[in-house]
Amino acid sequence: MKMNDTRPPRWAQWLLRQLHPEDTLEEVEGDLEELYDYWFQRNGKTLAVLRYLFSVISVLPPFVRKRKNEKDYYTPSNLHPDMIRNYFKIAWRNLLKNKGYASINILGLSIGMAVCLLIMLFVQHELSFDQYHTNAGKIYRANMEIKFGNNHIDLVVVNPNFGETAKNDIAAVEDFVRLRWSDGFLIKKGNENIRENRIAFADNSLFSIFSFPFLDGNPQTALTEPNTIVINESIARKYFNSTQAVGKTLIINDTQHRRVSGVIKDIPENTHFQFRMFIPMFEDGGSKEKIWAGSQNYNTYILAREGVSAAHLNTELSRMLDKNLDSNLQKVLGKSLSQFKAQGDFFHVSLTPLADIHLYSNKTGELDGNGNLQYVYVFSAIALFILVIACINFMNLATARMSGRAKEVGLRKSMGSLRSSLIMQFLSESMLTTVFSMVLAVSLALLALPVFNELTDKQIQVAFLAHPAVVIALITLTFIVGLLAGAYPAFYFSGFQPVKVLKGTLENSFKKSMLRNGLVVFQFSASIVLIVGTIVVYQQMDYIRGKDIGYSREQMLVINNTNQLGDQVQSFKNQLLTVPGVRNVTVTGFLPTNYYRNNNSFFPTQALDTKDAVSMQKWEVDENYINTMNMKIVAGRNFDKTMGTDSNAMIINEAAAKFMGQKNVLNKVFYNIRDEETKTLNGYRIVGVVKDFNFSSLRDEVKPLAMIYRKNNAGISVRLQSSDLPALIGQIGDKWKLFSPGLPFEYSFMDDDFNTLYKGEEKVGNIFTVFTLLALFIGCMGLFGLATFMAEQRTKEIGIRKVLGASVMGITSLLSINFVKLVFVAILIACPLAYYFMDKWLAGFAYRIHIEWWVFVVAGALALVITILTVSWQAIKAALMNPVRSLRSE
Amino acid sequence: MKRTYLGEFEEMVLLMVAILDQEAYGVTVNQALEEHTGRIVAFGTVHNTLIRLEEKGFVNSKLGGATAERGGRRKRLFQVTALGSRTLQEMHELRQDLWQMVPPHTLRLSRL
Repeated sequence: MKMNDTRPPRWAQWLLRQLHPEDTLEEVEGDLEELYDYWFQRNGKTLAVLRYLFSVISVLPPFVRKRKNEKDYYTPSNLHPDMIRNYFKIAWRNLLKNKGYASINILGLSIGMAVCLLIMLFVQHELSFDQYHTNAGKIYRANMEIKFGNNHIDLVVVNPNFGETAKNDIAAVEDFVRLRWSDGFLIKKGNENIRENRIAFADNSLFSIFSFPFLDGNPQTALTEPNTIVINESIARKYFNSTQAVGKTLIINDTQHRRVSGVIKDIPENTHFQFRMFIPMFEDGGSKEKIWAGSQNYNTYILAREGVSAAHLNTELSRMLDKNLDSNLQKVLGKSLSQFKAQGDFFHVSLTPLADIHLYSNKTGELDGNGNLQYVYVFSAIALFILVIACINFMNLATARMSGRAKEVGLRKSMGSLRSSLIMQFLSESMLTTVFSMVLAVSLALLALPVFNELTDKQIQVAFLAHPAVVIALITLTFIVGLLAGAYPAFYFSGFQPVKVLKGTLENSFKKSMLRNGLVVFQFSASIVLIVGTIVVYQQMDYIRGKDIGYSREQMLVINNTNQLGDQVQSFKNQLLTVPGVRNVTVTGFLPTNYYRNNNSFFPTQALDTKDAVSMQKWEVDENYINTMNMKIVAGRNFDKTMGTDSNAMIINEAAAKFMGQKNVLNKVFYNIRDEETKTLNGYRIVGVVKDFNFSSLRDEVKPLAMIYRKNNAGISVRLQSSDLPALIGQIGDKWKLFSPGLPFEYSFMDDDFNTLYKGEEKVGNIFTVFTLLALFIGCMGLFGLATFMAEQRTKEIGIRKVLGASVMGITSLLSINFVKLVFVAILIACPLAYYFMDKWLAGFAYRIHIEWWVFVVAGALALVITILTVSWQAIKAALMNPVRSLRSE
Repeated sequence: MKRTYLGEFEEMVLLMVAILDQEAYGVTVNQALEEHTGRIVAFGTVHNTLIRLEEKGFVNSKLGGATAERGGRRKRLFQVTALGSRTLQEMHELRQDLWQMVPPHTLRLSRL
């Protein structure tokens, strides 16, 4: 019998060793070997092997019972109340012991969290738009995309009879409502006329489709009678001192009487239109017309029946549109729809769900400026960055203090502390810090809310913070930040081996802390990206402000409501010209800086072939317009008062000339439909070309524009030249009073109007700056903390170096150089990233700057200087210390 | 009648530990069970039961000295604790009492 035979199979033994619980392995292995011998002797090899295998399996998991650890001492559960109390007691003591460290952490975290909180409110507010309507899920806005010839427009407005036809013809449509901006008007209060804006024509169904609660009046009939008006609560209080105003009369434009037929609550701020008054839709002349191609002017909302899908509704609406367009096109253009389509032209209808309008829709004819989803993302990302930077501070400072805490860990472990309870202790320390920070953050957020509202142009209320969702979010945020910031130190520290720690062999691994360096690099990369972003945003804004916009907007006074003067406008104008300091006056409502626009199609022949049509602005101006605005004529001439033929003359801009594609456009005649029904045409001969000037956002290219010589009394623009503007304006105001004693003198300056066009961009610029400063500040606090601990760490080294003759300068640079290196790495990482993001942002502008190399140099240098300033403060302090003191301390 | 529940197999194993006196460990308990009751049980069952008895406090154990015959591996020797022996005695007494109460003819009848 070979020796090998008396032993059980090796692989079974191996299996046993691998899988059997370690603490009972020795005895079980021995027992089984002894039993194998016994079976082998009694029953022979085969049976012995079989029984052995069977027995091995019976002591493998999951069959085997694990022996519980023998405990010689009592270990309380980690979650025992006493333990928890102890964790927090120790955490509290630690915070008190290291006040500087704790305050850096708490301040950094609370700023980060406050920013996060504000952004959360902002995002929540943006996402809440139009969600509050009872019918929100069933309301769709109809959009119309039109292409004919070289014109392509994407509108949120449709023809006047679109909604009604849909309601009558399509079963899936329950109801519709149309809205259209009305001009602002004057309302009489006492003897004073006050201008009120934000008034809309609306169908009565507005109140059954949308949820606007009535404080007074009957929603069923509020807008069904002529000369009625529905006002909101603020207007009611302003003019009647009461919300019960139904039946009372408002005097409009000094003459007209309107009976208040309803008072609604102010439309909530998170609605995509902000009207304050509604007047009946049927009072709008065009609203009763039955046209499909030609008058796209009505924001139309469709209420779908329960359970109707948007896709189905869209198909039905497209079918309806095609059917009706056909006959309409035949009438106007003499073409069938298929002929129209064969030229590549089309009318497309699409739907936008109500709740998507604010963030996703940015077409022509929106009722109000909508939000921008991109900014929601950008702000959220930045807020997260700042929070992460603050968390990194926490982690870095914690690991920097590692050597100090390591001894504590070693001692606790020697005294029998379990790893799990050490983790709990470190986590509760970070939790305690975050809870303090959160309390501080909420107060900071409350304090900063008015500033933030100003910055973002919102009216987020303080009460919003008490919203259950926000409270839950706060608690979750605290918890997550506490875990995020505390997890790394907790798990890392608690893994120390007490022997190594107490022997002091940890110092080496401490210097090689790649992770901490990586985190510092991350912090600075983020900061540099933000610095570059800020510089680029401001440069772009500066570029826009300084760009040659084709006219001059300085010292230009705009008087708006001159319609009230009627025929007296001309004599008022002549009076103005007598005022010293007034250089030029032009009478028209069409200005590059307002929203008064008139888009028209011009045809080169009387055949009205859509293929060659030019879509242009048609502005009615007088002969002084070009001179007053300081625009330049590049070809031809200005309008001439003495030439009677100029009533059919037009001056186009360079963009229009380019669009027409002809070398010499002067004296060409273009036709414009005067009346859809009778097909009367107006022909205009081009007498001049004016240099391109910007009349919409600089995000867009200059579009074709034509000026015709017509009276338009909607406004007066006055070119001034005076060093004493207030006095001059006083004089102009006196002239105004001569002509219209009851009417307010309303004016603005053109450069102010221009700046409001770019409020959005300016807003982003300001937010960027604030965030950048905060990110830099938090990052620097962390760096300051790190430098402090580094210097403390190397106290002895510095002492010895000084004794051996090192200079203060040498020691300072020794301590700073590591951080400087990190900042350089951060610059390398941040520059391409910043370039990529900012180039993408700039791509949204038709007139844009190109990012120059020095921007990165400035950003890098700024980060570097800040780093050196922060670090060298500590470094110099350490270097100046008397070596006797540092060396004596043991 | 407050007593930790002791299963039938547990009782057997506990008895075996008592019978084996100072020599009770995995192998001997396994062999004794086979020998005295004719039951062939998996080693794991005995192992688990011994651990469970120890957890319940009926036996305690200690590791014996190294032995030559099993590759120098130590044995875990089991001993009945005071609680174990009292429980065994109580069970024995209880059964005897119960036996006393059984009328003789019922058992005879049932045997038929």
